[in-house]
Amino acid sequence: MTLKKTLVSAALAIGALTGAVPALAQNRPVEIQMWMGLTGQGGELLSRFGEDFNKSQSEYRVVVSFKGQYPEQRAAAVAAFRAGNPPHIMQMFDAGSGDMMHAKGAVVPVSEVFKRAGLQFNAADFIPPARGYYGLPSGELLSMPFNVSTTVLFYNKDAFKKAGLDPEKPPQTWPQLIEAAKKIRSTNAAACGYTTTWLSWVMLEQFSSRHNVAFGTEGNGRGGVSASLQLANNPLLIKQVQTLVDMQKDKSFDYGGRSNDAAAKFISGECAMLTQSSGGLGAITQGAKFAFGTSGLPYWPEVKGAPFATTIGGASLWVFSAPNRTQAEFRGVAQFLNFLKSDRVMTEWAKTTGFLPATNSAFKAMQDEGFFTKNPGRDVPILSLISAAKGDNTNGYRFGRWTEIRDVYHEEVEKALQGNQSAADALRNAERRGNALLRAFERTAS
Amino acid sequence: MQRRVIFPQQGLPLLLLLPQLAVTLIFFFWPGAQAVYMSLLQQDAFGISVQFVGLDNFRAVFADEGYVEAFWRTMLFSAAVTVLAMVPALVLAVMADRVVKGATAYTTAMLVPYAIAPAVAGVLWFFMFSPSIGVLAWGMKSLGIPWNPVLDGSDAMWLVILASAWKQVAYNFLFFLAGLQSIPKSLLEAAAIDGAKPMRRFWTIIFPLLSPTTFFLLVVGLVYAFFDTFGVISAITQGGPATATETLVYKVYKDGVQNLDLGSSAAQSVILMAIVVGLTVLQFRFVERRVHYN
Repeated sequence: MTLKKTLVSAALAIGALTGAVPALAQNRPVEIQMWMGLTGQGGELLSRFGEDFNKSQSEYRVVVSFKGQYPEQRAAAVAAFRAGNPPHIMQMFDAGSGDMMHAKGAVVPVSEVFKRAGLQFNAADFIPPARGYYGLPSGELLSMPFNVSTTVLFYNKDAFKKAGLDPEKPPQTWPQLIEAAKKIRSTNAAACGYTTTWLSWVMLEQFSSRHNVAFGTEGNGRGGVSASLQLANNPLLIKQVQTLVDMQKDKSFDYGGRSNDAAAKFISGECAMLTQSSGGLGAITQGAKFAFGTSGLPYWPEVKGAPFATTIGGASLWVFSAPNRTQAEFRGVAQFLNFLKSDRVMTEWAKTTGFLPATNSAFKAMQDEGFFTKNPGRDVPILSLISAAKGDNTNGYRFGRWTEIRDVYHEEVEKALQGNQSAADALRNAERRGNALLRAFERTAS
Repeated sequence: MQRRVIFPQQGLPLLLLLPQLAVTLIFFFWPGAQAVYMSLLQQDAFGISVQFVGLDNFRAVFADEGYVEAFWRTMLFSAAVTVLAMVPALVLAVMADRVVKGATAYTTAMLVPYAIAPAVAGVLWFFMFSPSIGVLAWGMKSLGIPWNPVLDGSDAMWLVILASAWKQVAYNFLFFLAGLQSIPKSLLEAAAIDGAKPMRRFWTIIFPLLSPTTFFLLVVGLVYAFFDTFGVISAITQGGPATATETLVYKVYKDGVQNLDLGSSAAQSVILMAIVVGLTVLQFRFVERRVHYN
């Protein structure tokens, strides 16, 4: 072998080696980060969907991780966005939607993500309340509805029996609920009659929708960032807080804390009735050592047309934008979202967790196989969210800084429950403090 | 007379100081300056629109009636946490100082709480005292003591004070014990021969000689209560019920980390910084006079 030949082959070998490095990199799947705010059964299932997707193809690899409850996760994602490296997909709860929608430049609408990837996407595939909640008037969807829920009433059938109440006739209206709760207390069938999780979500947001009452201007904030809260001159909202204050005195209602904490009071048997997200069904099924039933969110019968539809809860999936994001990454995001909205995934998700199917076709598939008739109670959230009467104020709301305003509402109502202020004052203060936050939001929203 | 060691040139001492100076600059002055800068801006959560607003954030903070309430609440909270963390620590240290057998095991056991993260400690206390499922809450209920930190503000306040103080007892204990062990035995023996009883020996000899340690722990304890307790409050009460346990530092945490209102949160942390600097200066001026350094 001549020297020249040796040199050439050496050069070729080096060329082949260096060439091999990018080739290897190309074979490695594109990584898609998804952050979720669910633990327990729901979180495990969502992680498994990620693995299923990874097994189904080799181009992309989805990593689903839990970064804390929704508020903490949101904070982490914002910090990551500021550092230029947000997750590709973030699961964000209903209350955070207002903030996300006005974060133009930080998020890419899902309709757009699908379009760029050349994938078919029709907003009309999603159930109407979800479409209305997460979409623009143009019909474009900003985020993809995933875990859809609404408020329902869970009640302890054993405690009902013990109190001499009919366990197959759950209270439909507030007067009926109050009567049942008093009876449960007077017969000592349970230590407390009724409690609720998510005070603001249930007593302000869902309650208003149930009675088709506005709690803010401009279509509950859907018209723009200049909208304000209307709580102080809202007799029905005041009446509801007053009802809770009165019931708290004899423990026919017992306050159980701000977020999900009160669920434990129901599961342990301490409280006989609970208003909770329909997505809370899994934990109750696993934990409750008694027979329980499900019913719709109660309403005041004197309100004309009531009961109206409740509104949506749960969370949707947002796609983040970042300067260094490649087209391949966005294609991967679209592929994974497409996988998540498939009937197979949606029906398994809804059946296991108690959330509602987010797409019409999954809903229909579950109906066709008779899931709702075979599982009594599982149709309650559907009836409440989809079949019940619609009005001008049943389309949800859209306010910025809503997680913070929820806490303001919690603080003021807690003060009323402690007996330190009247129900009317609680709502007047909540309105004043909430509107101050909305004005600050308006100032920074583009 | 003071003896001073003088270095022949300036370079070496500066070089030796450099690591400490760098740490101080990077981890204390830089974030401090950042906080001051951020307190003059108003921005949306994502940092997409940022505008200079001068002192607007400060005006908004002081206009908030809840802020002044939170200030007095914080004073009460900090005083209670500091006292409740120091008195039991001193008692335990005096006891431990007299233990002959198994002293190390006892001391180590005493230190365990300090190694527990604030949030974990918070969750622990939350569960023990949770009205529905807590072991201790159940015990109190069976003794007929009304207990409901979910709705009763003062119950909630006691809970966060105890949880915050509990963690700090271990730290204080360690310093008190070291302080006690450095007191010359001959002094105490001499006093004992003169007929001084244990209580008298404690108040006239031990306590005064411990005063540098006590003063140090007082300063550190107040700073801890002011700055380091948001993890415990976040895990147990989230500032509630109503605003019963919302202290200044919890407000900073809530507005900054949860609500992503960085302008207001930065303004509050600047105010908090000023308060703590002021308090520390006061302590050095008035309390330190009564401290005997050997």
